[in-house]
This record gives sequence, structure tokens and C-alpha cells, in this order.
Amino acid sequence: MEENRSDLYHPLLLEYNRAPEHYEKRPEATVILEASNPLCGDKFVLYLDVENGVVVRASFYGHGCAVSKASASVLMRKIQGRPVAEIRLLLAVFLQLLCDTSAAAVAPDADFAIFLPVRQYQERLGCATLAWETLDQFFRKN
Amino acid sequence: MFDALQLRKEFPLLDGYPDLVFLDNAATTQKHQTVIEAERRFYTHQNANVHRAVYPLAAAATVAYERTREQLRAFLNARYAAEIIFTSGATAAINLVAHSFGPERLQAGDAVLVSAMEHHANLVPWQQLCRRRQARLLVAPLSPGGALDDLAFERCLTEHPVRLVALTQASNVLGTINPVRELAALAHRHGAAVLVDAAQSAAGMPIDVQDLDADFLVFSAHKMYGPTGLGVLYGKKHLLDEMPPWQTGGEMIREVSFGHTEFAPPPQKFEAGTPNLAGVAAFGAALDFLTALGRENIALHLRALRDYAAGELARIPGLTLIGRAPETTGILSFAVDGVHPHDLSTLLGEQQLCIRAGHHCAQPLLELLGLPGGTARASFAVYTAEPDVRRLAEGLLRALRILRAVP
Ligand SMILES: Cc1ncc(COP(=O)(O)O)c(C=O)c1O
Repeated sequence: MEENRSDLYHPLLLEYNRAPEHYEKRPEATVILEASNPLCGDKFVLYLDVENGVVVRASFYGHGCAVSKASASVLMRKIQGRPVAEIRLLLAVFLQLLCDTSAAAVAPDADFAIFLPVRQYQERLGCATLAWETLDQFFRKN
Repeated sequence: MFDALQLRKEFPLLDGYPDLVFLDNAATTQKHQTVIEAERRFYTHQNANVHRAVYPLAAAATVAYERTREQLRAFLNARYAAEIIFTSGATAAINLVAHSFGPERLQAGDAVLVSAMEHHANLVPWQQLCRRRQARLLVAPLSPGGALDDLAFERCLTEHPVRLVALTQASNVLGTINPVRELAALAHRHGAAVLVDAAQSAAGMPIDVQDLDADFLVFSAHKMYGPTGLGVLYGKKHLLDEMPPWQTGGEMIREVSFGHTEFAPPPQKFEAGTPNLAGVAAFGAALDFLTALGRENIALHLRALRDYAAGELARIPGLTLIGRAPETTGILSFAVDGVHPHDLSTLLGEQQLCIRAGHHCAQPLLELLGLPGGTARASFAVYTAEPDVRRLAEGLLRALRILRAVP
């Protein structure tokens, strides 16, 4: 039963939870996605304005645990202003980093690094990937 | 009275993890050493199929199986052992009633009444039955403290053709104990049959089905220090006699030809296939354990712990207790301002404190309470003692220091 787990709650993660960035309801956005996990009740709405293949504005709103909220916040910050093709790559990198525990635990930047401990918390993986998975699904279908 | 700290030593898992504080007993309890031993003994000395063969080993297995049934009859003060049916759990027992009794009982336009505090297991089967029968599912609301609103309950019975009431005896979220005896009498006066979900009460208080006058009552062995994959349906004999079987096959027949089957009488009629024999034998040991402790004593112990925990936790800044009904069992839900229950549960888990976070299979109730993210829930057992509660309070303070830290 004993597991060697490192600290899930990085100070930066808690800061994103306390004061999320891009945290704003925007019903007028061109793309509106619901990111929800019925198992734990987490529910966020993602608001994206996509113009000529570029996400010019991104925000989210809703409720969830510290991990899901921080990860949605990081996602919004990273995708605003970026072309969809780049975002798809970013999503793949993040999801692989967290889900594939056989891959090296090397994060490309500090924002990704705060989620590395999730690799040791399989029961919280769904929290960290909620917004990212939702966006990934959307791009796969559209 | 018994000594919870001493009892802990009789539970091999807890004894093996001395620092573990297990407060998720509403989900499942740990297993008493006599339960584990009885299961081992069954496989080592008694294993053979029941009700079929005539050699001595099989006869002994049948005797062990029927012995537990008789124990359950006495445990519930049922009139006949044939009123005790083994199922795979409370969920299966409710589904049995919904599929066997439900369709014959309900006409289009009739209603089934449940409460707003039901576990999904005592909600979804009725919801689906109502859909199939074009009947209405009514939900009796709660009063603000988390007790059932008995006036609204009665109004449902007066204003609608309610044919069946399905009600939990103790809420797995709020800890509320419902006055099932009075509510059953009320339901009967309006011509409704009553199913009592005793999943959270069977190990925590004395139950007398004749006194309650329940038509059906269900529970699971695994929440009673017994094995998983086993539960009980109690049903009044005259109802069981009339009900068609739910599942058919071996063990439940009297005579079969290719064109026709004559079913065995209850309880066999509802026990198709080979049952959980070792589980039933082990459950007998759990019932002996509960009876030896005394369920009145257990009820007092759980109530005292809940009151103690409520006092300790209420001192934590920003913490709100969910559920303040006058009668409660050892279940305590709470919410903390600005903190998601899953984050609490993870941080408590690291301190070897096992609590539950989420909607506890009662999603509509949590929506109603305005807590879509769910609650954190501590639930107690015979081996829970006051030091465990103090560890919880300290653990919570520590978790909150981490979560609320500003870098
Ligand atoms: C009130 C209540 N009813 C029914 C059930 C379902 O029990 P089982 O999953 O053992 O069938 C539970 C289990 O959590 C419960 O708490």
C-alpha cells in the first residue's frame, strides 16, 4: 500500500487555483465546449474565438478541484494567440507527459512541470487532463 | 459497551496498518477476522454445491448455507426463513423487486414514491420501472436540516396514486435516519407497498421487520463487516409467493420439461444459479459478531462518534457540516469554503486518512444541496474511536494549510 508519491500541490498550482487566468464567461465566443467529469462533478465551459485557424481568444469558467482548475487555466494561457496546428501538438505533448508514465518525466517548461506529480496520482489524472482532453476531442472531430 | 480500540485488533487489515484511519465505512467496512476465517474454513472443509447432491460434504454445505438464512431471519425478526433471499447485494435486491414485483404492481398513471436522499441504487431502478410502465416517479423533498419533510411525504401519498414507496432507512450522505416505521404505516394506509433500503442501517441499529412492517427490506453484507458480492432481500411471504421469478435457471425449479417449468417456492424461486456459498458462510460469522456486540450498543457508539466529530470539525474555519437531522447514524458530510472535496481527500490520503469525496452515488441530492462538486464524507464503524476523529481534524487543518497557502 505504501507508495512513493511526491507532492501534488505545487505552490504555483495552488496559485492558479486561487487566481485562475483567463477565467471569464464569454457566451459570445465562436466555439463553446463543455469539459465535465460526471464522476466527480467537475464542470467547466471553455470559450474560444477561432479566426483563420488561430485561437485569438481563450477563456474558461466553472467549478472543479484545484488540479482541474489550474490545468484549465494553464491551457487557456498557452493557447491564446496560437494557431490550431501548434495547439494540437501542445495538447499531444501535455497528454503524453501525464498519461504515459513510461516516457521520461521531462517537462518543456515550468507550467507543464507543476503537473508532473500527477503521474504518481493515477486517480487524479482525469482532473489534470479534463480541459485538455476536451479540446483534443474537439480538434479531432473538427 | 465495547472498546473500539480493542476491536480494531480483530480486523486484520487495520491491525496490519496501525497508522491507517479508515473513515470510508459507508462505502464498505473492513472484515472481521472470524469472517475471513469462516470463508477460509468453507473452502478448506465444506466446499460443495448446495441443494443438489446427497453426499455428506454437500449436505454439510447446504446446512451451513441454510444456517445463515436462519440467522438472518432471527437478525431481522422475520417470521419465516423463506422470507430471506440471498442476492449479490442491496442493488441486486432492489432490482429484483423492481423487475418482479414492480411491473405487476404498477399500471400506467400509478406512482412510485422515493425520497430526495436516495442512493442511485434505490432511485434508478424505480425511475426505469416508471418509464417502462408509464408510471410517475415522485420525489419527497427534504427539510432544510436534511431530514425527510414528512408533511410533503404525506401530501405525495394523498394527492397521487402511489402504489410503492422506496425509502432509505439511513442516508449515506447526510447520515439522517428516517422514521421508517411511521412512514411505512402512512404508506400502507394509502395502499402503497414499502421497500426499505437498509444498506446503511443494517449494521448500525436493531432492525425488526415485523415492527417496521416493511414489505421488502434490503442490505449488503460488505457494509456489515462481511464479504463482498452478497446481499439480502427480505420480503413478506405472501408477496414473495405471488411474485414471478426475476432470473431463471438452475436451483430455482421444482420440475422442468422442455415445454414447461414449475418453479420452486421462495426463497429458491429467487435464487437462480449457484449462489455465493463461501460468502454466505462468512456472512454468518459477521452476523454473530454484530449480535455479540449488540446493535443497540453499536447505534449508541456511532451516534456518539458522529456527535463528537461534528463538534471537532465545526471548529475548523470555513467548514460546514452538511446534514443536521435530529436522528443520525455514523456518517458525517462536510464542505469547506473554496476547497474542492477531492483535493481534501488526496491530502488526507497522504496522511493515511481514508475519507470519501464526491457525490456518493446520490447526484440529484448533491445538486439539490447546491454542492455539484460533492461533499467530503467521514463514516464510522465499530472500530472507529475518538483518536481517529482527532486525527481527522488535525489532518484537515494540515490539508487546508497546504491548499490555502499563498506563495
Ligand atoms: C443507501 C445505500 N443504498 C444502496 C447501496 C448499494 O449497495 P451495494 O453497492 O452494496 O449494492 C448503498 C451503497 O453505497 C447505499 O449506501
